[in-house]
Amino acid sequence: MTDEREITLTINGTEHTLEVEPRRLLVHAIREDLDMTGTHIGCDTGNCGACTILKDGEPIKSCLMFAAQADGAEILTVEGMEDLPEATDLHPLQEGFKAEHGLQCGYCTPGMLMAGKALLDENPDPDEETIRDAISGNLCRCTGYQNIVSSIEYAADELADRTATDGGAVTAEPGGGDGPGADDAEAVCGQSECCGGPDADLFERDYPTEDTDT
Amino acid sequence: MKSAPFEHHEPTTVDEAVSLLESLDGPTILSGGQSLVPMLRFRLANPDVVVDINGIDSLDYLHEEDGYLRIGALARHADVEDSSLIDETYGSFADVAPLVADPQVRNRGTVVGSVAQADPKGDWGSILLAHDGEVIARGPDGERTIPADEFFLLPYDTTLDDTELITEVRVPTPAPREGSAYHKLKRKTGDYAMAGVAARLVLDDDDVIETARLGMTAVDITNARATDAEAHLEGERPSSELFEEAGGLAAEESNPESDEHGDAGYKERMVDVLAQRALGDAAERAGLVKRRVSQ
Repeated sequence: MTDEREITLTINGTEHTLEVEPRRLLVHAIREDLDMTGTHIGCDTGNCGACTILKDGEPIKSCLMFAAQADGAEILTVEGMEDLPEATDLHPLQEGFKAEHGLQCGYCTPGMLMAGKALLDENPDPDEETIRDAISGNLCRCTGYQNIVSSIEYAADELADRTATDGGAVTAEPGGGDGPGADDAEAVCGQSECCGGPDADLFERDYPTEDTDT
Repeated sequence: MKSAPFEHHEPTTVDEAVSLLESLDGPTILSGGQSLVPMLRFRLANPDVVVDINGIDSLDYLHEEDGYLRIGALARHADVEDSSLIDETYGSFADVAPLVADPQVRNRGTVVGSVAQADPKGDWGSILLAHDGEVIARGPDGERTIPADEFFLLPYDTTLDDTELITEVRVPTPAPREGSAYHKLKRKTGDYAMAGVAARLVLDDDDVIETARLGMTAVDITNARATDAEAHLEGERPSSELFEEAGGLAAEESNPESDEHGDAGYKERMVDVLAQRALGDAAERAGLVKRRVSQ
């Protein structure tokens, strides 16, 4: 009654045909059936965002969708980033994570890169609050959020510089540690809650402060 | 953990879905899947048959028609967030959409699925209650309109029949001087509400409150209205004193449970505060909003 069915997934531009049970999660199809282990599984319950991929351009959590539901979809995973038109050796976001120390243990990084990619596709010049909102579904258990935000800012600056210098052609040099965006990394860490979590709301929110008996 | 094995059906029309629901044994409807997929994997839900409605393109809409804002069963939270219709005119919708879960979940999860799930901590139920919304269900005997007031029974339990599919939820398009708002308290992005309050006010030409509605999240066994507070507001002019009184009444009407996030007294106090804030925003928006001519 749970016969396998044939589905087609186009992942990073390559079409894959595979047989899956209906209960097969998309993330398991990607990692185990297709052996593309760049997409991580963190919590396995839809909370952490490590398994974020782009499905037809939108970031989704691949542990909250069955593979059969993605039949016919175009999927981008971290393995495909360096082949994107805006990549040189690495994608500017990957360069940013390298230059700005956006990874500590690295576990959340593939999901963060996907969330960052989805953001920059929609909004090439995001402010800090927008970046924090875009990665609010991705948990970094090292709590390295500040550097992750800087890394995405780095990529946005890098892409903007290229547009300014050559009309958007993809010929710019990969940046180093002193590349665009490095100057933006200071200042913000003066905030008391700056490394407390991914929730942009936390910074602005006027929480009730009345006595609570607790 | 993997889900237990299930049979996966993918109807492409509402008729097909309804006949599947009627003929199959104990089917579960899968739409956005952002709650159901983890429930399947924890085996909190163990259906033999899943009817996946994601292929029913006719249910993917969000528009104004015949005096209603209509949200089809496949409209995602992100569709509300991104819709040009959703501005100050639908203040509570504009408030709530970005507060549901996180961006990835909002790209998949649906408004209707959230209503159908009937988790008392879900936000959309309060919005529907505050807007005198309706649930449109299709079953073997045709279409049925269920007022939001009569929809929620218990946590995860509604008056929907097992053979019915919700095709739409809808709310009347706003009156000329109507304002609404939603305030939610949660620990962090992705969490359900610890408490939430949706408020809607309609003012008459003399600035007297003609209609008041308050829908509360996570402080009762279902999303619930604060009818004493509503009655206290109607016939009065908006003022901070009035809203303080209404907040107090709403807190009294709420029945929160103590949990790791706070005790019941704290949550009642939060209902009070959130109600006052939501009412304040709603009143301001009622003054600003001009009539929108519906298509």
